[in-house]
Amino acid sequence: MDIKLRELSDEELILEFQKNNTEDAFNILVQRYKNPLTNFVFRFLGDYASCADVVQETMIKVYRYKDAYNSLAKFSTWVYTIAGNLARTEYRRQRRRNLFSINDYGEDHSTYDLPDESSRPDVITDSGIKDEIIQKALLKVKETYREAVVLRDIQGLSYEEISEILGVNEGTVKSRINRGRAQLQELLKGIYKD
Amino acid sequence: MENDEKKYEDVIKALKGLMEVKAPANFESDLKRRINSEKFPKEEKKSFWENIFVPSRLIPSLGLVAVAVVVFFVMDTNSEEMDNPFLIEPRVREDVFAVADYEELEKRQDELSKQKSLKKEEPIVEQRKTESQLKSSEDKMISGREKAGEIEGLTDEKDLAKDQSIVADNLAEVESSLTVVTETPQPTVPAEVNAGMVTGQAITKEELNFRQVRLSTEEQKVVNELKNQVQSLEKADKTQK
Repeated sequence: MDIKLRELSDEELILEFQKNNTEDAFNILVQRYKNPLTNFVFRFLGDYASCADVVQETMIKVYRYKDAYNSLAKFSTWVYTIAGNLARTEYRRQRRRNLFSINDYGEDHSTYDLPDESSRPDVITDSGIKDEIIQKALLKVKETYREAVVLRDIQGLSYEEISEILGVNEGTVKSRINRGRAQLQELLKGIYKD
Repeated sequence: MENDEKKYEDVIKALKGLMEVKAPANFESDLKRRINSEKFPKEEKKSFWENIFVPSRLIPSLGLVAVAVVVFFVMDTNSEEMDNPFLIEPRVREDVFAVADYEELEKRQDELSKQKSLKKEEPIVEQRKTESQLKSSEDKMISGREKAGEIEGLTDEKDLAKDQSIVADNLAEVESSLTVVTETPQPTVPAEVNAGMVTGQAITKEELNFRQVRLSTEEQKVVNELKNQVQSLEKADKTQK
């Protein structure tokens, strides 16, 4: 892979891929964004298998619709927007599927509590217990608030970037983040006490 | 903003301390495989007309148009303005009259019969006019005659006199030889007949509104010749038999 390409910024790489169809430029972008996007999507969805699919789908969309990228916008904002949209769609699909699959087995339309396999001692390690609890709490936070909290507090994006990704103004972003944090604080009360 | 971050310091700290989830090891190879396996056909933008004339869209839209047309005609026939029969002014019947005595009734009947005899000659004159003239309303004809009396009065009177003389000349011949009588296509009952019914008079054949075609002398001659030829041919056939 060309060393010069590695030195280019995200925006320069996508422009190179747009103009000259340089596959290496795209590969560098994939290397740069595969982990941050996986982390973002996993924290939002809570399911690793579907998270990997969503990130791959995001990269395929970047490849396929490279011409749709506007050079005025930041590449990170564009790629996070795509991933966020796909993650939201996947989350809603999963929620629908779980709702139907649980209700279908209920004889008197009652729902059953799924066994929590993640709490099995052979599955979780001691270091991962806290992460698991936080992740579960995160999944209980309202969808719109969760996305904003993950982008801000886990991915470390600025309010401006988040507002561009979510397509809302900064005030709304701040409000969503604070509401999400408040919900999380309420859910994680026990952890802090311990 | 800083206050908010202080307020939720624990939460932020907990979130930032989460382990970073990394993409699977075979992520890039899987991605390449998917990109290579998937064909990306370029979606050509179809024009507006191409989109419209797709059968899946054309059939429902044509059906909708057909329904709209039917509904329009149904609504249109129903929306005919109906006159309230209670608000329509009744037709004045001039042929019906009220009498107090029997003598008065007789007088009125005489007057009516005179009027009828005068009216008899009018249709013969009118038959000579073209169809376009017939189409014009009766009122127009009457008013036209009255108004144009000064200008065309002389010619009309001449025509009328001519017609009357022709009628007088041909009357005997026509009655004796051939009279072509055809029924007029008017389906309505003439006022005169109606009047007769009301007043109890008997209706003669002449009073009926028949169209009598009268032939000119030359035409009559031709008809007579033909008639004679036919008769002679018939006689010849009989003799042969």
